[in-house]
Amino acid sequence: MHNKDSTCWNCPAIDLAGKVDFRACGQSVEEFRKRMDLEDSGQIVAECKRRPDLGYYDPMSITFKECPEWQKGPYGYLLRDMRVMILGIDGYLGWALALWLGNLGCQVSGVDNYSRRDWIKERGAHTVIPISRMSARLKAAREVLDINLNFREIDILNERERLKEFVDEVKPEAIVHYGECPSAPYSMIDADHAVYVQKNNVLGTLGALFIMRDLVPETSMIKLGTMGEYGTPLTGRPLYEGMFPADAVLTWKEQEWSLGGELTPRDPPSFYHTSKVQDTYNIVEACKYWWLRSYDVMQGVIYGVHTEHVSADPRLRTRLDIDEWFGTVVNRFVAQAIVGIPLTLYGAGEQIRGFMALEDAMQCMTRLIASPPEPGQYAVVNQMSGYHSMRELAKTVAKIGKKEFNLPVNIQRVENPRVESERHPFNPIYENLPKKFGFKPIVSLEEEIYRMFELLTQPNIKSRIEEKKHHIIPKTWWSGEKRKVETIEIFELEREIARSEKKAKSHGQ
Amino acid sequence: MNSIREKRVVIVGLDGVPFGLIENFTDNGLMPETKKLIENGLFVPMESSIPEISSVAWSSMITGKNPGEHGIFGYTDIPQGTYRLSFPNFNNLKAEPFWQIYGREKSIIINVPATFPVKPLNGIHISGFISLDLKRSVYPESLIQKLSEFNYRIDVDASKAHQSIDMFLNDLDKILKARIAAYRFLWREEDWQTFMLVFTGTDRLSHFLWDAFEDEDHAYRLAFIEHFRQIDGVIGEIADNLSDEDVLVLLSDHGFELLEKEVNINFLLKENGFLRLKPESERNYADIESGTQAFALEPARIYIHSKDKYPRGSVEKSEYQKVIEELISIFKDLEDGGKRIIKEIFQKEEIYRGSFLDQAPDVVLIPNQGFNLKASLKANELYEKTIFSGKHTQHDAFLLIKDFSGQDIIPDKLSVSDVCNIIEKLKAQR
Repeated sequence: MHNKDSTCWNCPAIDLAGKVDFRACGQSVEEFRKRMDLEDSGQIVAECKRRPDLGYYDPMSITFKECPEWQKGPYGYLLRDMRVMILGIDGYLGWALALWLGNLGCQVSGVDNYSRRDWIKERGAHTVIPISRMSARLKAAREVLDINLNFREIDILNERERLKEFVDEVKPEAIVHYGECPSAPYSMIDADHAVYVQKNNVLGTLGALFIMRDLVPETSMIKLGTMGEYGTPLTGRPLYEGMFPADAVLTWKEQEWSLGGELTPRDPPSFYHTSKVQDTYNIVEACKYWWLRSYDVMQGVIYGVHTEHVSADPRLRTRLDIDEWFGTVVNRFVAQAIVGIPLTLYGAGEQIRGFMALEDAMQCMTRLIASPPEPGQYAVVNQMSGYHSMRELAKTVAKIGKKEFNLPVNIQRVENPRVESERHPFNPIYENLPKKFGFKPIVSLEEEIYRMFELLTQPNIKSRIEEKKHHIIPKTWWSGEKRKVETIEIFELEREIARSEKKAKSHGQ
Repeated sequence: MNSIREKRVVIVGLDGVPFGLIENFTDNGLMPETKKLIENGLFVPMESSIPEISSVAWSSMITGKNPGEHGIFGYTDIPQGTYRLSFPNFNNLKAEPFWQIYGREKSIIINVPATFPVKPLNGIHISGFISLDLKRSVYPESLIQKLSEFNYRIDVDASKAHQSIDMFLNDLDKILKARIAAYRFLWREEDWQTFMLVFTGTDRLSHFLWDAFEDEDHAYRLAFIEHFRQIDGVIGEIADNLSDEDVLVLLSDHGFELLEKEVNINFLLKENGFLRLKPESERNYADIESGTQAFALEPARIYIHSKDKYPRGSVEKSEYQKVIEELISIFKDLEDGGKRIIKEIFQKEEIYRGSFLDQAPDVVLIPNQGFNLKASLKANELYEKTIFSGKHTQHDAFLLIKDFSGQDIIPDKLSVSDVCNIIEKLKAQR
């Protein structure tokens, strides 16, 4: 169990009451809460909110393995009935995680203002997998899975007082923050959309950090960032997990400086990605100023439709968007294959990204929730189970579509509406989740794509794809233009497969 | 309002003030009000508890019991069967404090150390150090509002002294003034039969500035004296407000002296193979390994790592006495520059009695003058020099009884656990 040796120091149920300096018979409360200085003489004194009978004690002296409140589970020790609040519970990931955690025995609460539904509606698109209203979702969760979710409709940016009240009422022991607008193209539509995305994301999160400072400073925030924060440096330097490793050195003009522990450079490729970078700095500072704790999850592209719980009943399905603004690449490719639109590669189509199946993403989040950071710790995980070029990905989708579902799939290169490198090295480091949190991916790309075809070819869903297929080809240009991208070339799958096999063979020789 | 003017008892505690300091300050005109009390009263040295720390001493004082009877042996404890470093509080006190025993009489109890969290009583209780949360430090809770108006705080923030002595003194003074305001308010507004008020700033001051007491040219000499002068003023005020029938007792829980060297006894236990921590240890008690024979808790309480008491305990019952003798042989000859560090070594049966004897430290060390024994697991050296200039002493606390001369109720070897009994006798006599 990866978190067996974590102690109350990491546990959100702890109240770090203060510090006692036995040498001076002194106590420190105000100064300790300001600085939580571990180096000063004195003993940190804690109290367990779950086991008040323990009185005051040294928070390092009980491990998760020894504590009866932490119970062995499939993803490490998990706090019994852990109170987890999901910001953005109505979204693609939020809803799936709510059911996943509820099934593990967590007391799940969540907030949402349905803005994802509104953005999609505003663009004239819809989720191709139909989803229920929240009231029906909650009812189905109770009926089918015996999970009670505590939901409150709150806009985290504009209703901070209400969020505060809800946090005070629930006293969450972990907050998963999915409550941001997740679209690069949406942020690039025009000035209004760019301003909205940045305001919603950056200021909404900033307000949530103040609430945590005031009400639940021992709670960890597991915040959704994106691998896109790093950009794709053409030098091919590694994309470390947020910070440079301890032995990284900058050499310049025959002088050397340590870079260990410093945030790595960010190169966000859209105003949406820029909002995530600003979040990163705000969270780093909040952890520094107020001893908050956070994992920033630099997430690769999540794809797929399946977890045991969302698949348990049609009313429990999570959304799936395929439009140019909110449809991520694998999800979009599968939809295109089903309705006969050649899979669209932007520009050269050699862009490389990290990916992870929905179910594996849920596993990762659970492991992070179960293994909270230390007070003041800001840590980053690069959350991906592998990486692929767009071209390879298109081929994989096309192959499965053709072979398993007898679909005539082609691939096309279109003009690239974005400003990005179309050919670049990609050297991501993604060791923290497997090494520190015990994560092992269990879903292969092919397996999940197969599942998606199975679901999305069902007549009712296929017809929903047909209905909105005109929103798949991009019209939003980073330059501000508003026109549909033109096709550069269409190539047949067989020819493309033969070409890549030949290439692979020659590499092998 | 004080409508009932029957015989009352007032106890004023001065935490960590030695007999010698009171003698010195009263002889030199620095505490004139206390001087008056000494002239007409009984003023004697008193032994502190073993170990000589406030939580044990005050617990003994308010219950009249030995630590083996009240269960408080130090600021820290490791409950048997665990390696959890705990900080015993008022809930762990196994004997009743006097205000619960004489529950018919209304008591006002202010700032007695080791009485957090407070419990309901007939009267008012504001607990003292360690009290990290004001809400559970005040009974009834409704009093918090009033205390906030005085800016009442339990204790000075000790970490301030590490940043700036001036900032620390400023904080200490504010807290003293707030405490005085709270006492005056409760004295005036409440009916009571027993009033106990403890000043703890005296101890904090002495930890950081004992040299200012010993050195007349010290930069903070006046600040040190001023703190005691303010308390002396309160003592005079209290004495003036009592009738001849009333009982006024001044006392301290332990003494103080100049600290020359800190001695880390867990370091010595490690060096001599008694204490083994995991190689990657965070240096806390949870990292004690199975080969460990003994470990120490602050200040100098040594526990045998017995097989029947601790999960990784390795000392069999048959080996117990042998391990103790080995420990004694190491500590008794410990010297620094030709000076013996340890003055006395006690096995638990020599100093403790009662139903909690089993939880007592197996061996307790009392240091010689100038040495301060400490049990930090983090220490990398046997000796250490720190910012502290004063340390507790076991032998020279004091007891002062106003307008009283009868020696007969004072035992030969007066100790803090006799105080309850003495007060009872005083009440009966007058």
